[in-house]
Amino acid sequence: MGAPQASIRRLALTRQVIYVLVAAAVIVPFLVHFPLEGKPSRVTKALFDKVQALPDGSVVLFSFDYDPSAMAELYPMSLALLRHCFRKGHRPIVMTHWANGVGLCKELVERASSAVGKKAGDHYVLLGFKPGYSNLILNMGESLQGAFDKDYYGNPTQGMPALEGVHSLKDIPLVVDIAAGATVEMWIAYGRDRFGFELGAGCTAVIAPDLYPFLQSGQLVGLLGGLRGAADYEVLLERPGSGLAGMQAQSVTHVLIIGLIIAANVAFLWRRRKT
Amino acid sequence: MSTPDVEISSTRRTVETIVLVALVVAFVATTLLVKWPADAPAKLSLDGLGIILAAGLTLIMYSFLYRDNPLFKVAENLYVGVALGYGAMLTWYLSLKPEIVDPLVTAPHNGARVDFLFGQMRIIPIILGVLLLTRLSRRHAWLSRYSYTLMVGWGAGIGIPIVAHSYILQQLEPSVRPLAGGFWEALGALVVLVGTVSVLFYFFFSVEHKGAGGVVSRVGVWFLMISFGASFGYTVMGRVSLFIGRAQFLLEKWLGISL
Repeated sequence: MGAPQASIRRLALTRQVIYVLVAAAVIVPFLVHFPLEGKPSRVTKALFDKVQALPDGSVVLFSFDYDPSAMAELYPMSLALLRHCFRKGHRPIVMTHWANGVGLCKELVERASSAVGKKAGDHYVLLGFKPGYSNLILNMGESLQGAFDKDYYGNPTQGMPALEGVHSLKDIPLVVDIAAGATVEMWIAYGRDRFGFELGAGCTAVIAPDLYPFLQSGQLVGLLGGLRGAADYEVLLERPGSGLAGMQAQSVTHVLIIGLIIAANVAFLWRRRKT
Repeated sequence: MSTPDVEISSTRRTVETIVLVALVVAFVATTLLVKWPADAPAKLSLDGLGIILAAGLTLIMYSFLYRDNPLFKVAENLYVGVALGYGAMLTWYLSLKPEIVDPLVTAPHNGARVDFLFGQMRIIPIILGVLLLTRLSRRHAWLSRYSYTLMVGWGAGIGIPIVAHSYILQQLEPSVRPLAGGFWEALGALVVLVGTVSVLFYFFFSVEHKGAGGVVSRVGVWFLMISFGASFGYTVMGRVSLFIGRAQFLLEKWLGISL
């Protein structure tokens, strides 16, 4: 009885020590800054180049399909993308498929636009939330103003200056879905492949590997995976933000976790050899 | 045997309670020191109160890493309740109210209501939506089948061709690309081809995996392992990112440290 209990206690203690080490690895880099150099990934640069290559004043539709639980990963990249659009003079249209994400959409677009003096309705549109998921995309493909007859603030979308020349998804050259769920696949199947616009994506790190096949097939023009994707975009934009700041902590934690994996394997092999 | 265990457990529980109380006191003291410095007038905005509440709840959630505890239970239930309530209210105010209730209630005359219901054909989705609610009654639950039938039928009719086109046909092309272009492009195409074939073979159970088939199957296993490793790596990155987000919040917003 004694040996297994001692072993379990030792394991619990080891686990708590690991938590403390990870906490230190995350917190210390925020207090002790160090230079971090990295080359932006090819897939992030592809999306950046796509936004950059659009003629000034183009319409870019953003679907911010996440809620505050994924904010840490997706907020920095959303902000960087919006800033890029405003810098280029594009007209972002912002919407969400997640009811709980409306507040974030509003905060994001107002934060990015107010810094450069852009106004709702004139330079950007906040459509907000509407239920329906794939049905909504199909509806927007038929008529954007039909799907959203009013914007988030209650203004009619018909005749809105920021939507000049835009009647449906077919008139939008680039759509970017920032997702914490399966909405990217939905935008590919029901949107991109049906209405012909280019689609870029940003997502939480957990779902990024599932989206790489769509990059290879050309169904996605670029992908921002997790905090790393946000940091890469901030580097390309030459405007450091919370993504890049977070990557310092991320890098230190990764080194720690790699070290822990090696140590655990060495301990395992050593114990097996001993017994 | 059982008596010492109980004594140890009791002692440990007492120590843990003391530590918990000490942590709560430390949190309150830190908040008071940071938010109400002695040389500044006391002032608390709604945002400030929200930050203190969020900081406290964040720390309570992380207390689970040590052990499940009553404070964590409170915070957990609060999170679920608030998220559900917030979502329900947003759905009401952003969807149901402006789309259905307002046009009926605030219509200037009955003609407008009739036009809304029958002219714009809103009566059909309204009835189908109401039928879904009959699930709440055991006696009338069968009525919801009409809505579900339409949803399933429509979903399958629209979805199957789209999904087959986007997820199968479009994915076939990059799997069998010619070995053209530069060296790395050709190598990449070869890796994709070998990976696809070997993994598919691994899940092909009609032939015993021996000899050449065994080698192909083993290659498939390696591709799967590398894929799982990449997924695990990304998952670690994702989970750490969430903690980084919380750490940034605690340091910057709660403690007021400029990062």
